[in-house]
Amino acid sequence: MSSKLLDFHKKNILTVLLSAVFIWSLFSVQWGPDLFHPGGQAALGQMMQGLLQPDWSPAILRLALSAAWTTLAYAVAGMSLAIVIALVFGVLASGVLASTRTARNVQVIGFRGALGFMRAIHELVWAWLFVAAIGLSPFAGIFAIAIPYGGILGRIFADMLQDVPEEPITALRAAGASRLQLLCYGYVPIAMADMLSYLMYRFECAIRSSAIMSFIGLGGLGFQIQLSLQDLRYDQVWTFLLFLIALVVLVDMWSQLLRKRLVA
Amino acid sequence: MSDTAMFAMKQVSKSYGSAYTLHPLNLHISRGELVALIGPSGAGKTTCLNILAGTIEPDAGLLHIAGKPASSYASGKHLAKAVGIIRQQFDLVGSLPVLHNVLAGRLHEWGFGKSLLSFLFPQDKHIAADALNRVGLSDKLYDKTSHLSGGEQQRVALARLLVQQPQAILADEPVASLDPARAEDVLAMLVRLVQEEQLTLVSSLHSVHLARQFFQRIIAIKEGRVFFDLPTADVTEDHITDLYQLTAGHGMDER
Repeated sequence: MSSKLLDFHKKNILTVLLSAVFIWSLFSVQWGPDLFHPGGQAALGQMMQGLLQPDWSPAILRLALSAAWTTLAYAVAGMSLAIVIALVFGVLASGVLASTRTARNVQVIGFRGALGFMRAIHELVWAWLFVAAIGLSPFAGIFAIAIPYGGILGRIFADMLQDVPEEPITALRAAGASRLQLLCYGYVPIAMADMLSYLMYRFECAIRSSAIMSFIGLGGLGFQIQLSLQDLRYDQVWTFLLFLIALVVLVDMWSQLLRKRLVA
Repeated sequence: MSDTAMFAMKQVSKSYGSAYTLHPLNLHISRGELVALIGPSGAGKTTCLNILAGTIEPDAGLLHIAGKPASSYASGKHLAKAVGIIRQQFDLVGSLPVLHNVLAGRLHEWGFGKSLLSFLFPQDKHIAADALNRVGLSDKLYDKTSHLSGGEQQRVALARLLVQQPQAILADEPVASLDPARAEDVLAMLVRLVQEEQLTLVSSLHSVHLARQFFQRIIAIKEGRVFFDLPTADVTEDHITDLYQLTAGHGMDER
């Protein structure tokens, strides 16, 4: 009886314990005037002022538009390649095509491992590697997005394919469907809505990454933000940031539309 | 094996762990028979059907399907020409149009290329349209399957079986998730189609009433054994009462 009671309270005890550890950790912070950089407040004020009055001059708008276009182009190209990687590796990593248990285990472990390798390395690191290897070419940026995003998407696709309900698959198998037919008449159509919705979310992330990527000199919104920051032109920084936000919001709206059509 | 046997089981048994799910069982079902399997939950009806369908390997015994040993069916494609299966309504892919769910019955005839092409240019469309017509859903060809009601979805599953053209149909509680009126409607349709196509039907059912109404022969299974196997006319109320009576220590904890 008492062991059952202990089991019941296990989670609560852990919660109390972890909360206590967190509170205790606050004591190691040296509270005082040195905690914040004293000159920071002025910079913060300037930034806020920039937000209130972004630079809407035509020259900056033109620059922001073309930079946003570059950022979007890198994201789209990178994601297109990532989708191809994710579909091939994801299907294989889900093991739904394997004929025997052993083949399935080998496939799942092998391809999940490969996907793990791709996404374990951050896109910025991939970008440095590719710039070192092929120079400051657009391909460096595209590959740097495609590989880690392919790894992330592929892993989630594999999970989604594995979580497909069994009944329709069993029924298709009983109707004489081969494994490839099961994939295109069962697994993929069932998982499609979820896969697409996750893909759109990752597309948003790819736009962010693509903007950051341009810090290493590939052009785009991030590059412009960096230049303006170096000039301490916060009003321009905000113009570019607002363009970045607009891009992400637009993609989100598009994804909502798509999902409504798929789920309805 | 005589030519008239659709299914013949000889001393077929199956156990999970130490307990028998199915005690050694002999069963002979002729072509064209309409057989209902009834019995308490967990008595072994589904296991029995799954063995007949070739989806579960029995531990021991011999099973002949359409005169050939079950093990001689090399692939799912061959077996699909002999036996078709219908279960509860979760069998369809809801995100696909009705058309593709029905055409899935042709997959055992199609190669992979043709299956893919069919998404763009539906292949053998007239066969699907004809089958849907026979189940009274000719106007739903392009509807998304998940938009259909439960009864309609079961009729789509029937249309898929018509397209598959097996020699026998195994139905595992085909109307369990429908309300009584629709259950009767779908079951009547299933039986009518089976008779029109001169197929064999073996169906497990919860409802004794439906079993009596539509089937010629009733096999009752209790605790993994055949409790009785009689023409419907010979089944009495006493048989049914005995079948569903809870025996001490049983009935609740079985699978």
